[in-house]
Amino acid sequence: MSHLPTLLRTVLVMVLLATTALACAGPAPTPAPASAPAPVQESATAESVAAEAQPAGRQLLVVAMPSAPTSIDPADHRNRESETVIRNMFDGLVTRDTESGVHMELATAINWLDDQTLEIKLREGVKFHDGSAMTADDVVFTFERIIKENAIEFPEAHTSPRKGLIAPLVSVEKQDDTTVIMHFSGPWPVALQMLVHQQILPKAYLEKVGTEGFLKNPIGAGPFKFVSAKGMDEFVMARYDDYHGGAPDLEPVGPACVDEVVFRAIPEASTRVAALLAGEVDIIQGVPADLADTLAGSEGVQIKTGPGTRPLWMELNVNLAPFDDVKVRQALNYAVDKDLLVEMLYGGRAVVLPGVLSPYNNYADPDLKPYPYDKDKASALLKEAGWDDANNDGTLDKDGRPFAFVIDTQEVTRQIAEAVASQLRDVGIEASVRIWEYSVILPKLLAGERQAYVGDWGDSAFDPVGHMEAKWHGYVQGESYGRGNFSTYDNPRVNELIVAGETQADPEARKKVYYEAQQILHEEAPAVFLLLPEVIEAARDRVVGWTPAADGRVNLHDVCVK
Amino acid sequence: MRATKILERLLAALPIMLGVAVLVFLFMRLTPGDPVDIMMGQGGAVSPGEMAQLRSEFHLDEPLHIQLGYFLGDLLRGDLGYSYVQKRAVAELIGERLPATIEMALGALFFALLVSFPIGIISAVRQNSPVDRLSMAGAFVGISMPEFWFGILLILLFAVQLGWLPVSGRIAHGTGLQEITGLYVLDSLLTGNRVALVSSLKHLVLPSVTLGAGAAAVLARVLRSSLIETLRTDYVTLARAKGASENRVVLKHALRNALIPTVTVVGLQIGSLLGGNMIVETVFSWPGLGRLVVNAIFGRDFPLIQGAVMIYALTFVVANLIVDVLYTYLNPKITL
Repeated sequence: MSHLPTLLRTVLVMVLLATTALACAGPAPTPAPASAPAPVQESATAESVAAEAQPAGRQLLVVAMPSAPTSIDPADHRNRESETVIRNMFDGLVTRDTESGVHMELATAINWLDDQTLEIKLREGVKFHDGSAMTADDVVFTFERIIKENAIEFPEAHTSPRKGLIAPLVSVEKQDDTTVIMHFSGPWPVALQMLVHQQILPKAYLEKVGTEGFLKNPIGAGPFKFVSAKGMDEFVMARYDDYHGGAPDLEPVGPACVDEVVFRAIPEASTRVAALLAGEVDIIQGVPADLADTLAGSEGVQIKTGPGTRPLWMELNVNLAPFDDVKVRQALNYAVDKDLLVEMLYGGRAVVLPGVLSPYNNYADPDLKPYPYDKDKASALLKEAGWDDANNDGTLDKDGRPFAFVIDTQEVTRQIAEAVASQLRDVGIEASVRIWEYSVILPKLLAGERQAYVGDWGDSAFDPVGHMEAKWHGYVQGESYGRGNFSTYDNPRVNELIVAGETQADPEARKKVYYEAQQILHEEAPAVFLLLPEVIEAARDRVVGWTPAADGRVNLHDVCVK
Repeated sequence: MRATKILERLLAALPIMLGVAVLVFLFMRLTPGDPVDIMMGQGGAVSPGEMAQLRSEFHLDEPLHIQLGYFLGDLLRGDLGYSYVQKRAVAELIGERLPATIEMALGALFFALLVSFPIGIISAVRQNSPVDRLSMAGAFVGISMPEFWFGILLILLFAVQLGWLPVSGRIAHGTGLQEITGLYVLDSLLTGNRVALVSSLKHLVLPSVTLGAGAAAVLARVLRSSLIETLRTDYVTLARAKGASENRVVLKHALRNALIPTVTVVGLQIGSLLGGNMIVETVFSWPGLGRLVVNAIFGRDFPLIQGAVMIYALTFVVANLIVDVLYTYLNPKITL
């Protein structure tokens, strides 16, 4: 067929042209015309044009987060990623260091005048990014904007979602230019911890441009100032040279080290890791446990872990058989080999939970030990509860019914749920796993319709408040109590203790209260206490001064680039 | 005439968009899952009455028909409402991300057409030859391959190992691109920014290939089978008998008619490229609409979901309209 070569030729030419067109977009270095910025040099390690094109010495640091912030307004979000980005541009009265607790930042001294009144002395010489000085007016304005109803006027008048975090705050007033008084509705021992999570805004600027203008160009008193943003997926910031220095107790003090910082959202974990390996980003958060070892062995990359804040339990519905018997619940705690789970699922990068609280929590009872792995003890307890393998089919039964139940969980915790299920089969319990979307399973759990749920709950304040009343107090509709209580556990004494801890100012007395609550919960075992995964982050070798923080915060003030 | 018909079709899109929005409105509210519960998250203190207050702000505590009334009333004033989670106007959120989705869909379509046409034509003309069998096997793989896996594979090979292309995002930092349309390639051409053009094209390659691979495979198969059929018809035999070169026979006579079923499939593909690219957007951190909508669904962010769904309905209508207009050019006997 002699005509075919012509046809083939035409088509091949088409393909060739197309491939050439694509290749022109490929890696050939192209000198740019004089009018454009400096020539683009292709290099496998620096994805950023800026790093090459700008004068030597200008340092750029790129951070990749697992999800994008929802807002850049410190008063209008309830999201960790938002707080991470915000706290590099905005400072608060106090800040927290993972190891040593709360430290002064914009405040110099904070004292309780009585158990409901707090006096705050402000640092002098602090400047916002527009050069204006911070005074007590700004502090009063910031907090009133949070606690007053409908104080945020854009896009429609609404109340700050962060009000709940400082619920006991009733009013704030200026005493003089450097002193502010806060009035609370009652004793609030965690006040300072919670103030860490609120940042100070410039009153004059915000009133002038409104919230809408503020969102387009935010101004704060933090180590970096806003340069530009692409929606919520990318934030660019530059060092603020007139920064007050930061918390005086926490080294380094002074302006930030790097010149420019970019925060990007890269939701897919493998892509995040690939970006780090390719040199496109300098720091990544949220490294999955199974990729940690790969990264640890890679060139040019360092990996660090930090205390986690999302403890995992398998909660058991104490009002439904078979878990209405405390012996059964304890037996399950003995039947699960948690050390094995830590080793196999997390590569050793997790801590076994001794009880309901994370061991890093300031009020975790140090005398509580995790339930050890003891299959025999588990079987013995189950037998006492009436569960035995009467028909010798490998599964325990009682009154003719087999011990079978469903473990509900979300996709993200599927692996650990399945691991627990298989360990339970070793003692003759038939456990199966069912995956749900959180919003669908939540109402069912609160209604007490399900048997077991593997899940976690945030504990980032390192204080029982914000955690114990949500998880282990009986459920009260419309309130914060028990809104995460999936075991339907409702013990009046524990409820009493939890409420007492919230308003007990004396740390020693608080310890007593919380230790007792933890011991009761440990005994009654409304859950199988599993583990606390560590936070894993990674960075290029050229990054120094970076440590993963438990609350996921990336504090770029301290970070330098070699 | 054609112009009026096109206008008519576009106007007909409005009731369609409205109908779709109302359906989604009802279904979302009847689905289990409360936006306020989800917003409060897992962890952190909630003040008493805070949840009740948020519910009343969003009118979630009112009966369904009252809520529908608020929604329709706002819609009549051109207000799509504002996102529960992001506290920004829905129209603004969608407007920010729509160009990114469109750019990636166009890139994928371009890649799909580029690859499927030569392969489809050669396979049809050289039916059952090794080239044909290989291409069809390739097409089979292209359709079955999960985008997620393929995308990550491409990243590992071309970005990490070889370093030829970037890992993620739409453009490198620091190119100084001025946005006009939101389509970065177009904007860099319009503003004459060479650096931005190169960067945006490089960033577009891997996502387009990942997203377009499936579409390319489908189109290659459809084109091949419709071209085979067309090549068997009487008028093609007549054209050959008249002495026209095979080139002319295939490309000028047969292809034009073979394109009709193919263009139909392209129209359907456009819909799925625009709407179904959430996976590719996630893998490449492409700031498009797909990811925004899926996050909105998980968070039960009703206003955002409703707004996005209306946009999707509109794009389907427009895509199908374009396909119908193309028919009339391909076959003058077909009228709009």
